[in-house]
Amino acid sequence: MMSAIAGAGDNKPQDNSESNGGIPLLEMVRITKSFPGVQALKEVSISVRAGEVRALLGENGAGKSTLMNILDGVFSEYGGEIRLDGHPVSIRSPRDAQKLGIAMIHQELNLVPELSVSDNIFLGRELRTPLGTIDLKRMQHKTAALLAELDVTISSTRPVRMARVAEQQLIEVAKALSLNARILIMDEPTSALADAEVQRLFKVIRQLSARGVAILYISHRLEELQEIAHSVTVMRDGELIGTHALADVARADLIPMMVGRPLQEVFPKGESTVRRDQELLRVEHLSLSVDKGGSNRALHDLSFTVHAGEIIGFAGLMGAGRTEVLEAIFGVHPRRLLSGHVYVKGKLLDARSPRQAIRRGLAFVTEDRKSQSLVTILSVGFNITLAALRRFTRGMLVNQQQEQVAVVDAIHNLRIKTPGSTTMVNNLSGGNQQKVVLAKCLLTNPQVILMDEPTRGIDVGAKSEIYEQMSRLVSAGMGIIMVSSELPELLGMCDRILVLSDGRLTGEFQRGEVTQEMILEAATTQEVQAHVN
Amino acid sequence: MSVDVGDPSVKRENIVPSPRERFTRVLSVLGSLQGYIGLILIVGFGILSKGDIFWNGINLTNAIGAFSSRGILAVGETLVILIAGIDLSVGSILGFCSMTAALLLTTRDMNPALIVLISMLVGAFFGFCNGAATSWLRIQSFVVTLAMLSIARGLDRELSNNVSVGTQVVLANGHLAPNSESFQLLGTPGHNLFNLQIPFIGQVGIYYPVLAFLIVCIIFQFILSRTRFGRHIYAIGGNETAARLSGVNVMLIKIAVFMLAGMLAGFAGPIDAAYSASADPLAGQSFELDAIAAAVIGGASLSGGKGTIIGTLVGALILTLLDNVLGLNAVSDNWQLVIKGLIVVVAVVLQRPGILTTTFAYVRSIIAKIRPERGGDKEV
Amino acid sequence: MKKLLLRTLTCGLFLSVLIALTSCGQGPATSSGSGNSGGGSKTFVVGYSQSNNAEPYRAQLNLQLQHYIQQYPDLKLLPITDAHQDSTTQVSQVQNFISQHVDVLIVSPNEPDPLTAPVQQACAQHIPVIILDRTVNTDCYTAFIGGDNVLIGEKAGEAAAKLLPNGGNVVELRGILSDQPQIDRDKGFRQGIASNPNIKIIADREAKWLKPNATTVMQQWLSQYPKIDLVYAENDPMALGAYLAATAAGRANQMKFIGTDGLAIPDGGIRAVQQGQLAATFVYPTGAKEAADYAEKIVHQQHVEHKLVLGTVAVTPDNAADLYNQYHLGG
Repeated sequence: MMSAIAGAGDNKPQDNSESNGGIPLLEMVRITKSFPGVQALKEVSISVRAGEVRALLGENGAGKSTLMNILDGVFSEYGGEIRLDGHPVSIRSPRDAQKLGIAMIHQELNLVPELSVSDNIFLGRELRTPLGTIDLKRMQHKTAALLAELDVTISSTRPVRMARVAEQQLIEVAKALSLNARILIMDEPTSALADAEVQRLFKVIRQLSARGVAILYISHRLEELQEIAHSVTVMRDGELIGTHALADVARADLIPMMVGRPLQEVFPKGESTVRRDQELLRVEHLSLSVDKGGSNRALHDLSFTVHAGEIIGFAGLMGAGRTEVLEAIFGVHPRRLLSGHVYVKGKLLDARSPRQAIRRGLAFVTEDRKSQSLVTILSVGFNITLAALRRFTRGMLVNQQQEQVAVVDAIHNLRIKTPGSTTMVNNLSGGNQQKVVLAKCLLTNPQVILMDEPTRGIDVGAKSEIYEQMSRLVSAGMGIIMVSSELPELLGMCDRILVLSDGRLTGEFQRGEVTQEMILEAATTQEVQAHVN
Repeated sequence: MSVDVGDPSVKRENIVPSPRERFTRVLSVLGSLQGYIGLILIVGFGILSKGDIFWNGINLTNAIGAFSSRGILAVGETLVILIAGIDLSVGSILGFCSMTAALLLTTRDMNPALIVLISMLVGAFFGFCNGAATSWLRIQSFVVTLAMLSIARGLDRELSNNVSVGTQVVLANGHLAPNSESFQLLGTPGHNLFNLQIPFIGQVGIYYPVLAFLIVCIIFQFILSRTRFGRHIYAIGGNETAARLSGVNVMLIKIAVFMLAGMLAGFAGPIDAAYSASADPLAGQSFELDAIAAAVIGGASLSGGKGTIIGTLVGALILTLLDNVLGLNAVSDNWQLVIKGLIVVVAVVLQRPGILTTTFAYVRSIIAKIRPERGGDKEV
Repeated sequence: MKKLLLRTLTCGLFLSVLIALTSCGQGPATSSGSGNSGGGSKTFVVGYSQSNNAEPYRAQLNLQLQHYIQQYPDLKLLPITDAHQDSTTQVSQVQNFISQHVDVLIVSPNEPDPLTAPVQQACAQHIPVIILDRTVNTDCYTAFIGGDNVLIGEKAGEAAAKLLPNGGNVVELRGILSDQPQIDRDKGFRQGIASNPNIKIIADREAKWLKPNATTVMQQWLSQYPKIDLVYAENDPMALGAYLAATAAGRANQMKFIGTDGLAIPDGGIRAVQQGQLAATFVYPTGAKEAADYAEKIVHQQHVEHKLVLGTVAVTPDNAADLYNQYHLGG
């Protein structure tokens, strides 16, 4: 199945779109979609040729996901027309989309963790033996062939939850291939991948493009687009701003198109605000053992300090234990698994529960906001005050007036885009949801904020706002520990970067003296770095 | 944050809840509109079919009074459902406490107020066991309360030696003992606390079970909407992990909720005993199902985080008035069971957000198919 | 601080439970068949399979049976098994007794069909069987002892006719419609009132043998029917539930109440007649004394009737006090 074109180490996107004699493979004509109170799409039209890799850019809430969901049959009601090869088609259900050869790989992967790889790939269309029972052998055989094409090494009988995220993604691609997809939609495919895995994915995308598959690629990572996309469509606030060949447009022009306003700098962190004399958090010889049946990584003998006005970054490969560091400090894990000491402003913190950590001035912005930080079925106001209710409670009663003032303040100051404080959090875009989480943390008046992947899945505009917030917070004297997989983010925002590898501290670098390569090297080494203050 | 760097496009006035939003918030406390529509339909049907035989103070008091002990159970059940749990044992706990009340009255000649208090404590103890097993031992609440259903019932029968115990202690001179006399005020039919004149309905005797039920509803709705404890309950039911990471003491609150459910069952026990002027070892059997039905019809979601006490009150009223209307119209018991089941399903379906718009859209699309010259939808 | 509060609360609760539990006690301690054999003579083992201990009538039956068997020093009663109204459970319990080779097997079947086979099994193993109160579909037993519900219903009907010489409106509260006793009592009652065509049953509803259900139904009837002269209930709890409702409406003295069962317990029908709440009730005989007598006779190879139909005793205000003392078993 590999085409000769895609090999030869050529990293530029090929133009493979001449197959149909000019008729685009996909046309979406004047698509309109509204939800209660929100006009999500306003007459958006795009057309994509076979083999074209089209990037979709836009802030969260711009409508890219909605447009793609319509194409994938998630919504049965919308205005406008969709045409394949020039013929109008009706897509009112995922099954319709599947039959027409459209496959979508969502950001939150749609795999059943307990089922095997082959079960997942053939979910809903299992192969049968003449007797009518499921033909496991044939399914596994086909699966193995598909996986081999994509260079995935996991066995087709293993449960999917045992595969790493990168492999799970490729399994989804394999599923799409087995459906003979002609149009593949990928939503933020690289947000959870390391560089090597990204390259592997790109190789696959090029192969597919060479075969004539049209690929619609939603991403916030502007740097990647140069490598992989032929063209880009920019959307903003439910409208189409423009479609351009990537060769015709510079990166600096794209951002204003997406955001609608000029941005000074992506990373606003200016002068150092570090007050070396004020120690906020000190961790000494922290170790975490693995819980039986639990899924946490181990930590070994970590020691570091956070000062007032400082942003500390934690870098490392996936699975190095970065999230565990934050969780251990915050009291998420049972006390018996921990050893070592944590001091907040000089006083020992024996956190047995998040409640105690919050009371001592810590706040935690989790990696997965929807499942760990937000009660999505309840309102923005409810979520914002949840951790700080004590401040508004006298006796047992909550003072709703006071509370409302604080909520309004928070929404205003963090620029949370929401129709109101009673809106259900689920209805907000990812970036605004993250701001709600941040507002919730800030309301508890923390000294140190622990942030785990704070800008994951958030568009450029909102990211920049969050960076601004972070800068402002540390200028006011707070300390921040930030875990991130985006090296540019770490390099741009942190005063110091600590690197973890397999639960051990393997590197510590000062701002301005470090490069991405140095971080990567420390992240892949086994040598432990001595603690440098 | 001392510097105002707010987004000028996000107007402060828009963030403060408009009157419309505040109205929506109050409405959400009252439960879903569909519940009230259902209630009005049933009342309407009652008035149409039976006139003032249905719509008079005595009949309405009788109907609500008969369901009061179950209604009180439903309040406790709503709390448990809100934290994404379920309590199958409230009926058995009520039975045990009903028997305890009768025995305390007849063997120890105890004051009814004290009886109610002890009954509540006993119920709370059972609730504590439920909560501890669910929270500390991490057994699913369905399993724990299913076991407790059996345990409490067994203890109840053992306590009473399988014989029902009357609550009317007659003295040698033929009169009722004073405590028995006042025990009747807890719910024996015909014994009202006092009488009131209510417009449009006429003279109404204030019957303790009804009063107790309403007061319990008001108190617990207040707790849910206005206290930190109430907020924490919604948070735990909505997303337990997020609640925990936000500093909510999940374990303690879960135990407290089960204790409250048990306590309410204990509170309702003496009411049940007074209603029958005796405690039956089988009292309260399958009451938990009525309690759950009332909560669900009232809008509580079994996955937690959604529901109000006022909604449960409406659900309870729907169930009992429906029973009453069907009974007055001599509909057989068998059909009553069928109708009750259908009501639960219909109520849940009708509570889906956007159900009305979806139904209208569906109807419109059918009309469009029947009348092709009108054309299909171009716009959403 | 919070832990201390929690512990105090727990102790307080525990104490309340203890107070509650120590206020218990009704009836004598259940005997576990502790009949001592007198010097040297053989002890015969009796097994009794009860269908549902929870019913007050059956609880009384159990007590009475234990009491009467204790009168016979050479009979030993094994712990009475309770099938919780589940026929399948009862089948295995009966089979258990058969494996233990009891000398006499007494069964109160939950339902006739499922219990027929095990009774036949006992018969095949030459174990004498006494069927108590409800029937099975085989003749292979030593004796059937039971009441005649049709007769009881008829007597109730006759009593009603006597109370309403000029006719009147009757409402009927029925047990679970599919229960045989319900069917029989209803049939008998209608036969009993047939003598006076002016007596009309204006309403009848199923109240499932339960007191609170009867209260609710009666309340609805009271609001619909201005003239009710007599309430007939197929058991005493339902009659008393109706009485409560009528008292609440202030109309209890306008009507008469007739129940069925006549249990000699403080909460039962005989006392209710004594206190003037019921006009009459009819003792549904437990047959316990007869069963004990028969068991003794059987083990001594004496003749017993194959079918012993027990009559009923009408409980009226005249004889209520005496009957109570006669049937009451202490406790």
